[in-house]
Amino acid sequence: MSRTIMTVDDSPSMRALLRNALAAQGYTVAEAEDGVDALERIDASAPDLVITDINMPRMDGFGLIEALRGRSAYAGTPILVLTTEFSDEKKARARNAGATGWIVKPFHPDKLASAIRRVLL
Amino acid sequence: MSGMTRTSAGTALGGLRQDGFRYVNIVQGNRGVSRDPQTMFTTVLGSCVAACLFDPDAKIGGMNHFLLAEPDEDQHVDAVAAQRYGVHAMELLINEMLQVGADRRRLRGHLYGGANLHAGMRAIGTSNAEFAIRFLRDEGIPLMAQNLGGTAARRVDFQPAHGRARCRIVQDTVADEVPRRVAPIRPAAPSGDLELF
Repeated sequence: MSRTIMTVDDSPSMRALLRNALAAQGYTVAEAEDGVDALERIDASAPDLVITDINMPRMDGFGLIEALRGRSAYAGTPILVLTTEFSDEKKARARNAGATGWIVKPFHPDKLASAIRRVLL
Repeated sequence: MSGMTRTSAGTALGGLRQDGFRYVNIVQGNRGVSRDPQTMFTTVLGSCVAACLFDPDAKIGGMNHFLLAEPDEDQHVDAVAAQRYGVHAMELLINEMLQVGADRRRLRGHLYGGANLHAGMRAIGTSNAEFAIRFLRDEGIPLMAQNLGGTAARRVDFQPAHGRARCRIVQDTVADEVPRRVAPIRPAAPSGDLELF
C-alpha cells in the first residue's frame, strides 16, 4: 500500500514540484497551503510523513510542528522541514519544536527520496 | 545604503543622485528588497529575467535577476531542474518581502528581460520569460507590466517603495557588458541534504 506524505507550502509552484517528485516515487500526496490548512486537513489523509515549509501565512512551520506534536496521533510522525532558511537559530527552533530533520531548498529529487527513505522506516 | 534596504550582495552605486534616488545594482543571481522611498534598484538584462514585485499597501518592493539554465554542449536543458531553480529564485525574493511586512496576497508583478541576444544559443531568454510568466500566474500574482523577449539588452530601474519601473533598450556598447555565458542561479547554502535532528 502506498505511503502518504503531506506537503505544506504556501507556494502553489513549490507544491507542484513536490507533488511531481513524490508521485514519481510512488507516494500518495496530500497538500496544505499553511499550518492552519494542514491542521484542518491532516486527519483526512493521516500521512506517514509531513514535509513543511517554515515561512507561511496564518501559521508557520514552527507553529505547525508544535501543534502536531501536541496531538497524540502525530506525536511520532516524522516531520521534515524543507525551507530556504539555513540559520542555526532556526534549525534549533525547529528541533526544539519536534522536527525530525531539515532540508535546505532547492531540493534535489534523488536526495529528497533518499531522505524520505531514511525517516520512513 | 539605507537600513530599509536589504540586498543579497547588491552593490550600492554611490550616494543620492540628482534625481533623488540612491541606486543599488542587482546583478545576476541576486535580489534586493526595500521600503525606502529613495532606493532605486537597477540592472542590465540580456537573456536573464528580472521580476519586480510590489505590495502597494505596505509600499514594499523587491527585484531579483535570474537565469534558469543554459544548454550544455549538446544543447540540452534540464527543464525540471530549471523549474526548481526558478521557483527557488522567486521564493527567496517573496520570502524576503514577507519578512519585512509584505503580504503575498497583495503582491503585483512586473517582468523584464528574456532577450535572445546571441545567435547560435538556444532561446534561453524565451525559456526564462515563459517560466516567469507561468510562475506569477500559478502563484496568483497579477502581472501589471512586462517587457520581454526580442534580441536587445535592457536596463531596468525599479523604485521598490513606489512600485514604478522604467525599462529601456540599451545600446550595443552597454549590451556587450552582458556576459555571453553566465551561470544559472545556484543556492548560496548547501542544499538538498538531510540534516537529521
